[in-house]
This record gives sequence, C-alpha cells and structure tokens, in this order.
Amino acid sequence: MTRVLYNIKLYFSFLLASLKEILIYRVDCIVGVVSQIISQLVEIIFIWIAFQNTENLAGWNFKQVFLLYGITLIAIGIADFCFDALYYLGPKYIKQGEFDKIMLRPVHPLLSIIGSSRAFTAIGYLGLGFIITVTMFIELNIPITIFLILKILFFSIIGALIIGAINTICSITSFWTYRSNEFIWSFFKMYTFAQYPIDIYNKFIKILITVILPFAFVSYYPTMDYLGINTYMTYLSPIIAIILWIVAVKLWNFALKKYRSTGN
Amino acid sequence: MIKSMIALAKMQFSQYNIYKSNFYLFTLNRIVEVIVYIFVWQAIYNQTGELAGGFSINQMITYYILSVTISPLVHWGINEDIAYSIRNGQINKELLNPISYFKYYFGINLGEMGFALVVGFATFIICSIFWSVVFPSSLGRFMMFIVVILLGIPITFFLQMIVGITGFYTNSIWGMKILRKAVISIFAGMIAPITLFPNWFQKLANILPFKELIYTPINIWLGQVPINDIYFIIIKQVIWAIILYSIAKIFFNHAVKKVTINGG
Amino acid sequence: MGIIEVKKLVKEYKVIQKEKGLLGYFKNLIHPKYKKFTAVNNININIEEGELVGYIGENGAGKSTTIKMLTGLLTPTSGEVIVNGLVPSEKRIENNKNIGAVFGQKTQLWWDLPVIESFRLIKKMYKIPENEYRKNLKRFTEILELEDLLEKQVKNLSLGQKMRCEIAATFMHNPKIVYLDEPTIGLDVLVKENIRKFIKDVNKEKNTTVILTTHDLKDIEDVCNRIILLDKGQIIYDGGKQEFKDIYGNYVIAEFIIKEKKQSIKESMNLDIIHILEETEKNLKIKFKHDETTIMKVMDEISKYCTIEDIHMKEPELEDILKDIYKGVHTNDKKYDSTSENAI
Repeated sequence: MTRVLYNIKLYFSFLLASLKEILIYRVDCIVGVVSQIISQLVEIIFIWIAFQNTENLAGWNFKQVFLLYGITLIAIGIADFCFDALYYLGPKYIKQGEFDKIMLRPVHPLLSIIGSSRAFTAIGYLGLGFIITVTMFIELNIPITIFLILKILFFSIIGALIIGAINTICSITSFWTYRSNEFIWSFFKMYTFAQYPIDIYNKFIKILITVILPFAFVSYYPTMDYLGINTYMTYLSPIIAIILWIVAVKLWNFALKKYRSTGN
Repeated sequence: MIKSMIALAKMQFSQYNIYKSNFYLFTLNRIVEVIVYIFVWQAIYNQTGELAGGFSINQMITYYILSVTISPLVHWGINEDIAYSIRNGQINKELLNPISYFKYYFGINLGEMGFALVVGFATFIICSIFWSVVFPSSLGRFMMFIVVILLGIPITFFLQMIVGITGFYTNSIWGMKILRKAVISIFAGMIAPITLFPNWFQKLANILPFKELIYTPINIWLGQVPINDIYFIIIKQVIWAIILYSIAKIFFNHAVKKVTINGG
Repeated sequence: MGIIEVKKLVKEYKVIQKEKGLLGYFKNLIHPKYKKFTAVNNININIEEGELVGYIGENGAGKSTTIKMLTGLLTPTSGEVIVNGLVPSEKRIENNKNIGAVFGQKTQLWWDLPVIESFRLIKKMYKIPENEYRKNLKRFTEILELEDLLEKQVKNLSLGQKMRCEIAATFMHNPKIVYLDEPTIGLDVLVKENIRKFIKDVNKEKNTTVILTTHDLKDIEDVCNRIILLDKGQIIYDGGKQEFKDIYGNYVIAEFIIKEKKQSIKESMNLDIIHILEETEKNLKIKFKHDETTIMKVMDEISKYCTIEDIHMKEPELEDILKDIYKGVHTNDKKYDSTSENAI
C-alpha cells in the first residue's frame, strides 16, 4: 500500500513538471484546444441529424443522448490528459531509444511514461463536455446538487481509469512494433459505441462494450444513474476499474520482462 | 518523370506494407467507425419506418459503408509531411532530388492512395458480409463512380499541400490537420448524406469542392444522380482541381523561396 | 574554366532581434526588429573537375551556407555561382542531376524498407542505365562492405552502416560533383577510414569532384589535396594542402623528457625563437622554426637548465595548425587581419 501511495505522489510531481512545460508552448495549446473542439463538431452534427429523423433512440430522447455525450466527453478528457503519453510509447520512446533511459530511473517505467502525459488539449473535451452536461441537466430539469457533482466527478475519474487501463493493455504492442499508437487508437475509438444507448446494438457489440472492453461503464451506466433509469450497474465501475488495472500492470510487467530478455 | 513517380508510389506503398498489422488495424478502424452510424440509423428506421433524406434503410447502410470505404482516399495522403519536412530540415535533402519537390510528393501521395484503396476494399468486403449492400444498377454507373473518385485524388492532394504549408506558417501543423479533417468530414457528407442538412448548408456544399469526394460518387453508385449530371460534376471537379493547384503552387513556391532565402 | 565558379559571393541573413520578457515577446510578434548578419562575405572560389577540396572552418564560419548556395538550396544575396555551367538556385532540378550530397545525419534512405529498395528508387529517379547501376552497385558494395546490409531495413542499421549506405546512394548516379557535409560525424575510426578510401577510389576512377566539410581533420589530411579555410565568412586560405602546411606549419614540435631541472626554463631562457608550449618537472614541449634555429642549438640551450633524457620530434598536423589559426597566433598575417566584424 505504501508503495502505491509513493507512486501516486511521484505521479503528481511528474504532472507538475509537465504542466510547466505546457506553459512554454502557449500558442500551440490554444490552437490544439480549439481544433479538439472542432473535431467534436462532427459527432455533435451526427447526433443532431439523427434526431431530425426520430423522436427517440432506444427510448432515449435528444436531451438524454446529449447528456450521455457530454458525460462521455468529460471522462475522455480526463483520460486523454492523464494517459496521452501511452500513444508515444512505440513511436517516440522505444523507436528513438528514450525508453532505455526511462528504464534507468528508479521508478516503474509505466509510471514514468504515464506521468509525462501532457495533452493539455484535453481542456477542449473537458470544457465542451462540461457545458453540454450542465445545459442538458438544466434542460432535463434534473437539479444539480453537490451530491450529483461529486458523483459525476467520481465516476468520470473511474471512467478515465477504465480507459487508461485499456490503453495501457493496448500499449503493450509497442514492445514489438513502433506503431503502437495506431493499435491503441483503434481500440480506444470503440468508446464511441458507448456514446449511444447500448440497446441499439446487437448482442455481439453489447457484450464487447460491457465485458470485453467495458467502455459502457465509462459513461453509459453512470449516465443511466444520473437519469434515474438504472441506478445499480454503475457501482460496478470502480470494481471493474481496479480489476482492469491489476490485469494491465501484470500484463505490462510481463511484456516488459519479455522485451528486456529478447531486446528489440 | 512518370516512372519516377510510380517508383515513389511503390516505395511508399511497400513502406506501409512492411507492417501487416497496419492493414488490419486500419481496416478495423474503418469498421469501428461505420458501426455506430449503421446501428443508430437502424434504430431510427425501425422506429419510424420512413425514408430519411430519400434513402431506404439498405441505401443508407450502403451509403455509410461506401463512405468509410472511400474516406481513406480523402483523409490519408501526404497530410502535413511537407510542414514537418520544412521544419526538421529534411526538405534540404528532398530539394536535391532530380525531380521537383511537388512531383516527388505527388508520387508519395499516390503510394498512400494505393494503400488507402486496399484498406477501403477490404473494409467494403467485410462490411458487405455483415450488412446487405446495394450495388450500382449498371457498369456505366460504376465506372462513373470510379472516375469521380479518381478525380478527387489530385483535389485532396492540393488541399493537403495548402493546409500543410499553412500549418507550417502558422506554426500549428497539428491543429490545421484536425481542422481540415473536420471541415472535409462535414462538407463531403461523411457524417450524413448532405440532403439531410439544412438548405443553406446544401447550397454551400454545392459550391465547395468537398461534396464530390464522398457524397456525389456514392449517389452515383446508388443511382440518385442522373447520368447527364455527371458531366457537370466532372467539369466542376476539373475547375476546382485547377484552382486548388494554382493556390497550392503559389503557397508552395513561397514556402520554397522562404527556405532558399532564409535557410528554412 | 572550372566546374565550380564562385565570384564575389555574399549571403546575408535577417535575424529577429529577440527582446526579453512577455512584453518583448508581443513586441516581437507585432513589429519584429531585424538584425543583419553576414554569413558569407565576398568569397571567390574556382574548383576544377576532379579536385578533392577540404572546406574547413570553425562552427558558424559559413561553411554550410556556402554549400547550400552551391547546391542551390540557398539563393545568394549577391555574387555569382556557376556549377557545371548552370546557376544552381535558378536551375535547381537540372543541377541536381549532376550532383550528390550528404548532409550529416539527414538520410535519403527509406526508414522501413531494405536498403536495396532505396538504391532502386535512386536508379529510377536518376534514370541510371541498368548496366551502369549494376556496375556501381557491385563496386560500391565491395569497397564499402555493404554485402550483408542491402537486404536489411534501414531502421535496423547502426550509424556507421547507415552512413556507408548513404554514401553509396549519393554516388550511385555518377554525379560530377559531390558535397559531403560532415560525412564522418559520430562514426568510429574503421568506418571513417572505409569512407575515406571510398571517396579516394571513386575520385580516381570517375574523376568526381568532391567538396568535403568536416570537423575531423584526419578526413582532410587523408582525402583532400586542396584546402579552403573559411573564417567569419571570408576565405583566409585557398590552396594546396602541402603549401598550407608550409606556410602555417613551418615549425617543429619537440617533446623532451627531462630530469634534474634547476629552474623554470620558460623564465630563464633567453632565446625568443623557441616557444614553450608546456613545461612540467619531467616534460617540456616546445615549438621552433627550422629556418630560425636547429635542433642542436635548441638542445644546447635547454641542457643548460636540465638533463635531457629523451626527445621526440614531429611535424605539426593540420589540427595543430588550425588550432593556432583559430587562437589567433597568425593575426599578423594580412589576410587574417582584413577580417573585420561583419555583424551590423
């Protein structure tokens, strides 16, 4: 336990260093944030067009689907901010030999890499997600209580951790191919499945996003809870996050051992 | 000259082909993208039982499958390579080639397009196993579909040149790339058939060159465009190709001049 | 008429004058102040076909800028550059067909593909005839020992292997002129020797003109027969390698191993034609000119102060000479003196 706490403390000192670095690239950041928001336009337009042709989607109305979308953005934003560096494990760290340097540090290399995440552009996701979420709560006449805010905060962080664990597992491919970023991205992209009520999907995809890659616990089940539709599934999220992280770290360590014994 | 360009295209293609995983991942990516769209529309059609934007459910599914099949041809390519080449000095090496820089990159772009075609084709085959796809009513229509798509290749190349060089000047290469992708996705009809958009948007899309990259060829395939209209479409494409070529050339010459006077 | 002719070549850069602080940052953004900087100041060069030229100078002396102008990558501010009858900055593509270039670690090889694929692409781009390509490939593979590398992916090559392949790629189309900018940087001695041998061999066989820029003066010593020395944008020496040594290096360095030193030699010796470079209890390093004194006289003088045990003499190497020049030992030379501050 103390080791876990020590690592968490270390993580925050990494984060602080990253933040300082960000401030140096101010202009680049603003452009990044704006373009991140613009890229979300595509999703928003699609939802809008879909609801031009229907009243509801698997029983969810326009406002509810948008709330789900906003909640997803918040979780994605946090995940993007905290785990962005995993994308660079292959193309940057391993390909350019920086990984060897990281292995010499007296810290677990996974922590070193995750700690160097600095996707400041995630502010775009977070801001947009926040605005949409608040607006939709008001539109849906759901009172925004302190308890609700705390719940959203808690489950969004849990959701981000679930995404982070999935990304970590996918990043293992970096040890054998420099192009792990594409691998992570391909699986990460499946979070968009959970951006809609999962009743619209067939059995296969339902199982995929609840059991195999549990993206449904990132935002779908929490949102159901906020809407009062289903209030018990979401409490599985923390357990799933913990299990996923145990699996992820174990797999990562195993892969690292293999990588070190065979070299690249 | 043509031979050099083909040789370059082959090199770029085999560079991609080295990583077989790329092929699977990119194809998977395409399919992931189409799944959300198809299930959402299926839910809508099941609920309303009406035509949306004049498309039957099978036509709509075919629309999205073709959209993700063609979209690599539109989104991939040399992208912002030029901007990075200028920034990191690789341009010095490339300017010493015995063929012009412009042609050099067009050759590389063709290689990218070759790979995009292979991925697109695989995507189409796999999707047509899971969903019933509508095929064009005649061989002539299919040929026209191909012609319009091929004419889109230089258009996207010039666009990428312009955006890439702008990215270099504005110092936000990455931001410009996301912006370009978002604009093309929206105006080419990648998110939804353009007929589902408001009137003002449709008028704007009629003037801009993006519609012919995705929306128009698919409608030729689906039989929504009278054969006679196709000639006007081709003329529009040629005119836009000339305009964009001129702009790209001006931008490009200016960038090269900047490099050759200030040393990059 | 030489294959490369440079007349009164000048290159000025505009550099933004940076101001401190956030306010200065915005000031710069709106109204940047420029400072002129002359990188190359009025140089004249004439190089004949088949020459092996060492182009040397300190960092920032203007070497790379000159090479870029010769290849057409930079447009001169004023002056004339004619390479093989063409003005490179105007007819770049045409000029490219006749030249080859290596720029440090920047590679033209395709990262993910086997080396041979890059060679094939070069063959296609330069339209190298099949038999010529085969002949070159065979010969280059032999000298540069590429046999086992050709089928390997470039990303899996070591630095030295990559550079050998890069050099082969550069010479593949039988260029008339080759510019080598730091081709041996970061390489080990064996690879360096290998590359030097290759350059000499190709030069002998094909009469290729080579302009070599390097920090490793062994490269120059070994390969070049002519030296152009650049300092602060101006040429301070242009001529044969041997003549260079004769002018700037007409001295001998002698190292003595001594014992029973009675007093500080430097302070007590009254011969000012002997320069003492180093002096310790057991060692003495001096430098003197042959036409001013002889070793016998020097030894006589030194043995007044100590007992000489052993003596080792050597001619100065390029490196020694250049160190002196950079340090300003030769500031009395007229040429050197004329170099004034160029920054405005």
